[in-house]
Amino acid sequence: MINEEPISILRFLSTYFDIIRDLFITQKEDRIIRRETFEIICNKNNAEGIRKTLFKYKIVKQVQDDYELRDVYYNLFEFILFEFRPLLPDEIEKYGQSISELFRKIKEGINSDKNILLDRITALSEEVKKFSEAVDKNKIRLLSETRELKANVKRIDYKEKIQRASHWTDHYILPLNKILDVNHSESITNKLFDISEFANQKRLNFDDEKIKSQFERLHKQLIQTNDDLRLNHKTFINELLPLIERIKTESLILTGWIEFLKNPYRIDTPKLFKTDRNNATSTKMYLSTKEYFELYQNVEDAYIEQEEQQPARWIFNKSVYKNKLNNSLPITNFFDWCENTLQKEGVLTNEKILALTTLLFEEELSINENLENETTEIKTINSKFIVPIIQVNKNGI
Amino acid sequence: MEFESPKYHNEIVEDLMNGKFILSKEKHFEELKEHSDYYKAFFEKSFGHDFIFLLDFAYIVSPETNENLSRDICIFLAILCYELDKEGINFLDKIEYGDFSLEEVDKYFENSSFTDLIQNNNQIKDFDAKRKLIKTMTTKNIIEKNSEDRFSFTAAYRVFIDFAKELAENRTISLEQKDN
Repeated sequence: MINEEPISILRFLSTYFDIIRDLFITQKEDRIIRRETFEIICNKNNAEGIRKTLFKYKIVKQVQDDYELRDVYYNLFEFILFEFRPLLPDEIEKYGQSISELFRKIKEGINSDKNILLDRITALSEEVKKFSEAVDKNKIRLLSETRELKANVKRIDYKEKIQRASHWTDHYILPLNKILDVNHSESITNKLFDISEFANQKRLNFDDEKIKSQFERLHKQLIQTNDDLRLNHKTFINELLPLIERIKTESLILTGWIEFLKNPYRIDTPKLFKTDRNNATSTKMYLSTKEYFELYQNVEDAYIEQEEQQPARWIFNKSVYKNKLNNSLPITNFFDWCENTLQKEGVLTNEKILALTTLLFEEELSINENLENETTEIKTINSKFIVPIIQVNKNGI
Repeated sequence: MEFESPKYHNEIVEDLMNGKFILSKEKHFEELKEHSDYYKAFFEKSFGHDFIFLLDFAYIVSPETNENLSRDICIFLAILCYELDKEGINFLDKIEYGDFSLEEVDKYFENSSFTDLIQNNNQIKDFDAKRKLIKTMTTKNIIEKNSEDRFSFTAAYRVFIDFAKELAENRTISLEQKDN
């Protein structure tokens, strides 16, 4: 028995809140408060005399040489600090077993001893409450752990991050999800639905008023619990699992980048389209074409020397041709003579014909044009001459 | 003979042939979505290119790839993600939903321990080079400018992030095979 006023205890808790919180955190981490640690914490802030009061108010108890907070205070601090230990799914599942067992016994003994039936309904209600609270606490704890992991406040290594994320998913979140999943036939949520259905029937048709009212209370409690569980399950599906998935993805991506940065020039990177400069649909086509043409503007003339030998150029040697003409006199058709003479010297060109025509103006030659205005044709490589028939003789006797 | 084509055909072909990612918020994306089969056949038969249509962006690839740009972007993103993580920032959230100032990016690269890699890459070695790379990524729709000195990534960033993820997965598989 504590012979103190409850208000004094609460005042003490309030005055020395920081110290009791430190004791709570120590116990949470080490499962016990070591004697030395207890002394250090109690001596903080000149809190002399606190030790005695902690025992007087039965806040702390001695465990061999060490200490621990009594459960009621431990749970109080756990609750007000939101520092819940995440419960293993097995710890939560035990409520499922006790709920199932109590429900089975209620159904079997529905017409037996009424007092036992009342006690069983009360016990079932207690278990449902504990189960619901355990799920709620776990949700809060898992969300806080996951958010902390995501924010990476402790700056942990990405590999450890992925390990922790996998740990939370595999050992806590997925099994708890199974417990809450209404679509899973073995889930506790499903069992609660069955109990709710049963309580609903009994609250309406049970003959004993007291038991009827207990079923009524249980039914209301189960409606509330099912709503809470549904909301908690929604948080699991919509927030916790995606959050964990994201942590895993982020860590995976970082692993990939680190792998890539080890040797960035030896790993094939994603394909990116290589644009074609000559693509006709490109907006740059006009400028590219312009640039191309400008490359060849203002270019100096270039000469190419041909290696093959050019044919010897024909040169009009007047005296040679004059001699040839003199030797051929008299000539009845001068242009026929020109054609025959030049054909022996390669192709017949205009230049050659015209050059030979100059011989007609030599003084020692006498020229007679055909009186009947007859003409003849001479074909050169690029022209056709229609010329008169001219007779050439030596001038004089 | 009259040539029939979907609406915005010219813009679609021009953007894709210029190596741009077409994003879901663009006016021609809906048309592209509606005629994705047509464009798949169009690019394959006309040019031999693969048309890739995803939930919120589309692009084309060909056997000939812009390897240098792809590698530079990967190095840029890899270092950025690494440095963001080092600072305790959720890089995936930041890339997906946040935006960056040029000054902030410069700071991450300045403080990075990948000094050799940065110094030896002409696209990220200094402020001007990084701005040029950011500009190139903007023309490809991988990045969009929010103001003179702020930018954010578009959905196209996922091409590179998926590449990193795949690399990590392949590495895990090969390590597992080694262990066995």
